[in-house]
Amino acid sequence: MRNSAEIRKFSTISLVWLSITFLAVWAVCWLVGIALPLFLLPALGITDPIWGEVCKAITPIVAILVFIPINATFMVLFERRGLALFTVRSGPNRVGPDGFLQTAADALKLLLKEDITPRGADIVLHTLAPITFFAPSIFAALPLLAAVTDNHPIFRIVNLPTGIFYVLAASSIPVVGIVMGGWASNNKYSLVGGLRSAAQAISYEIPLVLSIIAMCMMAKTLDVVQIVQQQAGGFWNWNLFGGGALRGLDRFLFYNNSDNVRALQIFDFAYGHGIWSLVGVVLLIICTIIMALLYLTGACAEINRIPFDLPEAESELVSGYNTEYSGMKFAIFFLAEFTNLFIVSSIFVVMFLGGGDCPLPFERMLPFSPAFMGPLYPLLVEKLQLVDPATLFAALWIIIKTYLLVFFAILIRGTLPRFRIDQLMDFGWKRLIPLALITFMVMVFAREMVHVQMVFPGGTP
Amino acid sequence: MVSELQSSSSLKTDEMIINMGPQHPATHGVLRLIVTLDGEIVRHVEPVIGHLHRGQEWQGQNRTWFQYQALIDRVDYLSGMFTSWALSRAAEKIDGCVVPERAEWLRVIVSEMNRITSHLLWLGTYLIDLGAMFGFPFYPFREREKLFTLFEEVAGQRMMFNYIRIGGVQRDPKPDWFKKLEAFTKDFPDRVDEYEAIVTENPIFLKRTKGVGILTKAMAKDYGVTGPCLRCSGVNYDLRRFKPYSVYDKLKFDVPYFDKDGDTNDRYIARIKEMRESNNILKQCLDMIPQGEIMAKKQIAGLRVKAGEGFEAVESPRGVLGCYIISNGSDKPFRFRWRNPSFSNLSCLPELLIGHPIADVMAIFGSIDVIIPDVDR
Repeated sequence: MRNSAEIRKFSTISLVWLSITFLAVWAVCWLVGIALPLFLLPALGITDPIWGEVCKAITPIVAILVFIPINATFMVLFERRGLALFTVRSGPNRVGPDGFLQTAADALKLLLKEDITPRGADIVLHTLAPITFFAPSIFAALPLLAAVTDNHPIFRIVNLPTGIFYVLAASSIPVVGIVMGGWASNNKYSLVGGLRSAAQAISYEIPLVLSIIAMCMMAKTLDVVQIVQQQAGGFWNWNLFGGGALRGLDRFLFYNNSDNVRALQIFDFAYGHGIWSLVGVVLLIICTIIMALLYLTGACAEINRIPFDLPEAESELVSGYNTEYSGMKFAIFFLAEFTNLFIVSSIFVVMFLGGGDCPLPFERMLPFSPAFMGPLYPLLVEKLQLVDPATLFAALWIIIKTYLLVFFAILIRGTLPRFRIDQLMDFGWKRLIPLALITFMVMVFAREMVHVQMVFPGGTP
Repeated sequence: MVSELQSSSSLKTDEMIINMGPQHPATHGVLRLIVTLDGEIVRHVEPVIGHLHRGQEWQGQNRTWFQYQALIDRVDYLSGMFTSWALSRAAEKIDGCVVPERAEWLRVIVSEMNRITSHLLWLGTYLIDLGAMFGFPFYPFREREKLFTLFEEVAGQRMMFNYIRIGGVQRDPKPDWFKKLEAFTKDFPDRVDEYEAIVTENPIFLKRTKGVGILTKAMAKDYGVTGPCLRCSGVNYDLRRFKPYSVYDKLKFDVPYFDKDGDTNDRYIARIKEMRESNNILKQCLDMIPQGEIMAKKQIAGLRVKAGEGFEAVESPRGVLGCYIISNGSDKPFRFRWRNPSFSNLSCLPELLIGHPIADVMAIFGSIDVIIPDVDR
């Protein structure tokens, strides 16, 4: 490890920033969602329950609005330092300790910069484009909040029965913003970038959505909270590994280990179709892994990251659709880009990696159990409701998994060259979409073959 | 794929003129390309050169030999040793002075080092042109930095060396320097393996480069293309081999050569191989370099070259770099003319680009490895 010092700095910065992000959101949610309606409003003499309801209702929005800017600020730094690690550089290390405040300073600079609208540009569309690009990412993140906090009471309000459908619908709107920005800029590079983006988003949304549909088919629901709950109990229950298809098998092994007589009965119960079930299990696992990879590819294209960053291909189109943007508008484009990266990663975590589920089924409430905390427990957890152990650990795991995926995206960015537009279309329509359709078909049959009680968490046996 | 795109033009669309450069992030300096696009397909290209014209030849006629020696590294700033060498060789031919043996060997060493740095920079920027934005390009710069440190030690400068002088070389490196260079040559093949591990078999890289920008043999000859581009197109022409100068006839080395119509991928492979060969040459030079004098002419401000005229060329990383001088015996050259490889290589660009998508403009332009100051002089 020649650059172990750099790696240490990178990890330190990441940990500190993540803690700041996490604590800020936590504090704000607690203040608005719990402290205000439970303690502050009564203390001020406001007894009308409607105000408490209002406070609870705006909590998710406040949480998102606090989370997105802080998170994006951190992610830009994370990406720059991470790329620097991969490319034998130091990265930004001047502002604050080890470049800790670099992106905060950048954000400040962008906010204070002059906002330029080029001559001949359509001013209305030019202004609307960044908003159209950014706003859907806020909407899209809302239902996910319920899933990532393990359906915490104050976030239950944003959970939708059609959650994932809504998330996908909302997160495919930003492309309109890109096309608008490209068209309104009165710049040929921007125009080409915008059009490319539209073509790319249409092509790559199909495999992306197909992989999500496959997971919804496995879960028999569109509700993100339920999808997460069904994957609880260790990594073999995650959708990435067949979505509970292994549940019968792991119980079989577990009971066999302890020489239980009922082992075979359990096995027979879990896999109703005997040997065909096992074939189905293998097929299902292969298919879900393919689907996960398809999702990652589609998501990379959807959010315009290398190797699919054609809309802003720097060596061809200068900066693509955001060539003519500066100041605040550019900052919003930038913010939205990184937020989208975070959101597609968290969708992957929710759909494939079990959401806030710990990879191994440990007793996750230990540090916050009454026995461990002693007299603090009634005060912190029950009275002040400062900590909800289930939610806390779910959110921590989500953050960890999502940032691992973001790190993976940065690694890809640090490695691969860019596709050409015709090759991109070729790859999308001739390879990914047929593959997605075939995998989907196979999954339908494999799932019937397994016939495992995968719908209910815990299963019957 | 390209032909497929071309044939699908049953739908009549308007053509769009895009002005790439002179301030474009990927034009390697200030080249302006007026590109006519049909959708994404390039229909016509008109390069506009001259944004970096500094009158290098005219400057040569208005400066003394001694002053101009320091200036010519800027003609092709990535391979300054070769421009110095071309000038020195032409001047020595006119003057008739014999360069000491050790100086010739030192010239070969520093030039081959310079060839490696030039190709390393090409490798990094070419990957940027293909869109590997931050990832790969910095690895070549790591090795380039090591060589620059060595250059700095021997010439006092990292890029504008002014090391090769008329009559010899500027100074004799210390024994320590040779040891450092030897360590580098031992290490370097592994580093090239590292680059190749990332790039050569990368499917996206192959997709972007195979069959793109095919330069036929006839075209290469017509346009006077030289260097790796020519050798990839089926003409085995390398001055070091074809007309050995200096001590190249004593060295064993291969010249990478493809007997076919070369595409951008071939040019990449050729340059990678050339780096390895240059490394081999360096190793041999370190073994064979004799002791002795390094300078045949006194380096003073009033440095004079006898009257006469002559042309001499060297094989630079980009091709044949020649220098034609008429001297009237004074301390200033009377007439000066550069034969720059970049200029000839660039001239084939419009024909190469036609029919390719806009994304390939930079891929092809990068692959012929043009230095704009070398074109505009």
